[in-house]
Amino acid sequence: MSEKLGFYFDQTRCNGCRACQVACKDKHDLPVGTTWRRVVEYGGGTWQVDGDSFQPSVFASYMSVSCNHCEDAVCVQVCPTTAMTQGEDGVVHVDDSLCIGCRYCEWACPYSAPQYDADRGVMSKCDLCRDYRAEGQDPGCVAACPSRALDWGPIDELRAEHGELAAIEPLPDASITSPNLVITPHRDAQPVGTGTGRIVHEHEG
Amino acid sequence: MNVHELPMIIFTILAQMSVGAFVVLGAIQVIARVRGRVSGEELDRLTDPTLYAIGVTLVLGLVASIAHLGNLVNVFDVVRHVGSSWLSREIILGIAFAGLGFIFAATQWFKWGSAGLRQALAAVTALVGIALVYAMSMIYTTLAAVPAWNTWVTPVQFFTTTLLLGSLAVGAALMGTLMWRRRSSDDATDVATTDPGDLHIIATALRGIAVLAIVMLGVVFVVTPLHLAALSQGDAAAVASAEVFSGAWFITRLLLVFVGAGLLGVFVFRFTRTDQSDPRPLAVVATLAFGLVFVGEFMGRSLFYDQMMRIGM
Repeated sequence: MSEKLGFYFDQTRCNGCRACQVACKDKHDLPVGTTWRRVVEYGGGTWQVDGDSFQPSVFASYMSVSCNHCEDAVCVQVCPTTAMTQGEDGVVHVDDSLCIGCRYCEWACPYSAPQYDADRGVMSKCDLCRDYRAEGQDPGCVAACPSRALDWGPIDELRAEHGELAAIEPLPDASITSPNLVITPHRDAQPVGTGTGRIVHEHEG
Repeated sequence: MNVHELPMIIFTILAQMSVGAFVVLGAIQVIARVRGRVSGEELDRLTDPTLYAIGVTLVLGLVASIAHLGNLVNVFDVVRHVGSSWLSREIILGIAFAGLGFIFAATQWFKWGSAGLRQALAAVTALVGIALVYAMSMIYTTLAAVPAWNTWVTPVQFFTTTLLLGSLAVGAALMGTLMWRRRSSDDATDVATTDPGDLHIIATALRGIAVLAIVMLGVVFVVTPLHLAALSQGDAAAVASAEVFSGAWFITRLLLVFVGAGLLGVFVFRFTRTDQSDPRPLAVVATLAFGLVFVGEFMGRSLFYDQMMRIGM
């Protein structure tokens, strides 16, 4: 069995510039409304009582997500036509010669990875830049990150180097799809299910 | 109104109504035959028009479902993933229910085969229909990403719609059949008459339908608050989807179902107790009840799709 591929995201380095998002959109020539890689800002805060005064205690961090080419790819499981397929390297892609555009995979994915292409009536998604990889290049998003917050490679190697963490707020619990994703969390990152913040400034994305 | 998912609203409502109507019509047949006060031919004469109407309804639903798809070129590939995808299973069961239903309708029309054989075919068709509604609900129930759907409430909602709309549709269709016969008899005698025996059979059936509709109404009014309470305790997506169940649209939907099912219940029992011979008020009430509940359920299904709010990002 060949090794599964995945992404690494170093949240301590991400400043939310969205170069990855734009590079992805540009490389794949995605229409308005289709964004295979997305960056969101997760923020919140509380007040701390300090003597007679209240001090604000706030936090904000960024999360960059595309398809995580999950071990239990729920999009592949629910697809009625088998158009959503997973290669031996774990990369999930859409076979246009089978897709009927029913959008069931879109409902099923908690990472919003499969996105509908209204012009062609079929689903579209990240294929980890198959063509770039074939030429020995990094995927567009990884290459574009100015702070080197993104990386990709065999998931076993990424986990050996960076640990096992695959979910923090606002991502879904990793047990749902077993994403091939490794995260180095921001110092204020919150475990899944204990989040006190929310996704803010959505219009910026 | 969720216009975006309109094809799915039409498809799920019509398909569930068809299954419910088929099952309720079968139950009426079985109960009437067991009681034995009416011949099989007489009963078939009253119920067959409703059977054909179910076929038309189901076909309309299936056609609407196609409008949900973005690309029809590969439409026949939809059955490929039957081992894993509930959507494939839904399509296969939907086609099987339609196919068996048409064969059964044809055998009724041409009187092919023995009555026993036709009844066995109807029983198999009803079971496939129930499996279809179950598969439809599993499409949504199995989605861990959507808290409002990922609960036992989804199959309960779907089967409630199935029985509620199915029974009231049969009630309206049987009264329609009776009124049609009554009008047809005008030419011959110049006086509109209704066979008292037919009216008695249908009024008895309507009484059972009213009981079933009121029980289903009870299920709606028990399950909806439980569903809301559970969602309100959940994560951000769950709380946001709970908020869909509020406002004028939601209240109107509940009122329509309540008034529709309640109206029929109260009226039918008064009607059958007072032994009236004029079927017209009963026809009006049965049709009105069905109309109100249909609109109420349609609005409810629109809210169901509004609740497609996912966890994660």
